[in-house]
Amino acid sequence: MNRKVLLVGFGLALATVCSGFFVSAFAQGKAKKREITVISREESSGTRGAFDELMKITDGKTNMLFEEAVIVSSTDEVASKVEVDKNAIGYTSIGAITPKVKALTVDGVVAKEENVKNGTYKISRPFVVATRTGTSLPIAADFVAFIASKSGQAVVSKAGYIPIDGAPDYKAANLTGKVTLSGSTSVEKVMEKLKEEYHKLNSNVKVEINYNGSSAGIKDCLESKSDIAMSSRELKPEEKTKLAGTTFALDGIAVIVNKTNELSAIKSETVTKIFKGELRYWNDITAQ
Amino acid sequence: MTDAKEEKKDKTDNGEKEIRIAAIKERGAEYFFLLCSLMSIGAVLLICFFIFRGAWPTIKSVGLWHFLTFDKWKPTDVPPLFGIFNMIAGSVYVTLGACVIGVPVGIFSAVYMAKYCPYRIYPVMTQFVSLLAGIPSIIYGFFGMMLIVPFIAEYMSGNGNSVLAASVVLGIMILPTVIKVSEVSIRAVPKAYFEGALALGATKEQAIFFVGIPAAKSGILAGIILGIGRAIGETMAVVMVAGNSNILPKSVFKSVRTLTANIVLEMGYASDAHYDAIVATGAVLFLFILLLNMVLNFINRDANAAGGLS
Repeated sequence: MNRKVLLVGFGLALATVCSGFFVSAFAQGKAKKREITVISREESSGTRGAFDELMKITDGKTNMLFEEAVIVSSTDEVASKVEVDKNAIGYTSIGAITPKVKALTVDGVVAKEENVKNGTYKISRPFVVATRTGTSLPIAADFVAFIASKSGQAVVSKAGYIPIDGAPDYKAANLTGKVTLSGSTSVEKVMEKLKEEYHKLNSNVKVEINYNGSSAGIKDCLESKSDIAMSSRELKPEEKTKLAGTTFALDGIAVIVNKTNELSAIKSETVTKIFKGELRYWNDITAQ
Repeated sequence: MTDAKEEKKDKTDNGEKEIRIAAIKERGAEYFFLLCSLMSIGAVLLICFFIFRGAWPTIKSVGLWHFLTFDKWKPTDVPPLFGIFNMIAGSVYVTLGACVIGVPVGIFSAVYMAKYCPYRIYPVMTQFVSLLAGIPSIIYGFFGMMLIVPFIAEYMSGNGNSVLAASVVLGIMILPTVIKVSEVSIRAVPKAYFEGALALGATKEQAIFFVGIPAAKSGILAGIILGIGRAIGETMAVVMVAGNSNILPKSVFKSVRTLTANIVLEMGYASDAHYDAIVATGAVLFLFILLLNMVLNFINRDANAAGGLS
């Protein structure tokens, strides 16, 4: 029995030592080359659509995203993946940047609302609400009018996005009923505030919102499953034939990395190369 | 006299009536129960019908063999490419990984609980195992994302979103199934088997591992297959830790996309041919589960034929 205990003890000790070596070998290998973790969104995402197009990751026909990229399905998940992974790079709406991640300066321009508005920060896209053309839904039209009005635009700028200039005034029309919206997860933050504000003026209207991604929202609207589609990218030409879109805000897309990343600025070509999988290691970028 | 006769006749009439009413009630209840059981059968048949009908256009246009064996999935490209080979392989990898991690731990836990566990600790153990079964899968996902993924990235290789991470999470998730079913079947082995083994000079360990477990084999297998069923169908926890890249992983540290992940990531926005292809992905998953159930039935029948052990 004693021999058995000794044997087991010896075995355990051996296993510990071996795994120690194993881990340290891996750790050393890692110290030499830090592989980039590319984080992207599912193809339905408006942020992804806008980012891919602006960074030339797609040519309109073939998507050339690095095929080993990690795919997540919401704005928040990008931030939480970047937060825990030292080697991660992702992209998210400027309004959705959290203090736990670091936004990179792209081509020397800081990812800030002012820079989006004055056009120096290039990675930006519109937030659009769209309704079906040829149908008249008074409540939907009223809600869109509110969003595009002075009071709606005030909410937009308070939420940290860039409002559209020259907005008209809005007067509540005392409507009663329900309006349904579906679409982009990126507009959630501002849309919830717009809903709140609209409800103060029109207490008899019930606003129901479903956040399922821009393309899904557009599809819902086309199939009459919802009254209004919310999109965080421009409408495509074939969508414009059936939908009337109203741009109600501008939003920049920030390139974000982990807090511990020593990099603070990046060139847009480098971003493109990273997301296409042509650049695989942080070391190669820091060396440039 | 006549009155009394009349009264008697009335009574029997009433009695017959009551019996008839009771019979109708009983029949009614019987039909009600039948209806309830038909509902579950009907649900299964309906699901079968709609899944396979939805999958048909893809199978017709892409071709079943091509759909199953082609390794490129690019639904938004022009023209779109639909091939789910990587995802089938991904599901198989992740499930096998879950078995490698979950099955030994599960069986040894079951052995401990059935044969070694002091009676004071036993209720605590069963409580915790039941609790493990009750944790929602998204909580497992969070656990994996916050702990297992960074751990793999830090101390092993790659970025952590990997086959290994998914396997560990799923391995933990299948534990309760494996433990419970295995424990019951080990307990069901007649005591005489152990006693016989001990009488022949075997140690306790030998009696358990060379007599008890072989006798409980089919029950343990059933537990493993139920576990596999859970692992292959799991979605949320896997999506959060597997990375979901559309590749055939070359090592356990590489990212992987399972069939379920593919469905849940793209179902929301898919339309037309893409939608059909997603439904077809679901049909393939469904076939996997049917196959597993068939194997399970086969094992159970085998066990019954062998004399009702386990």
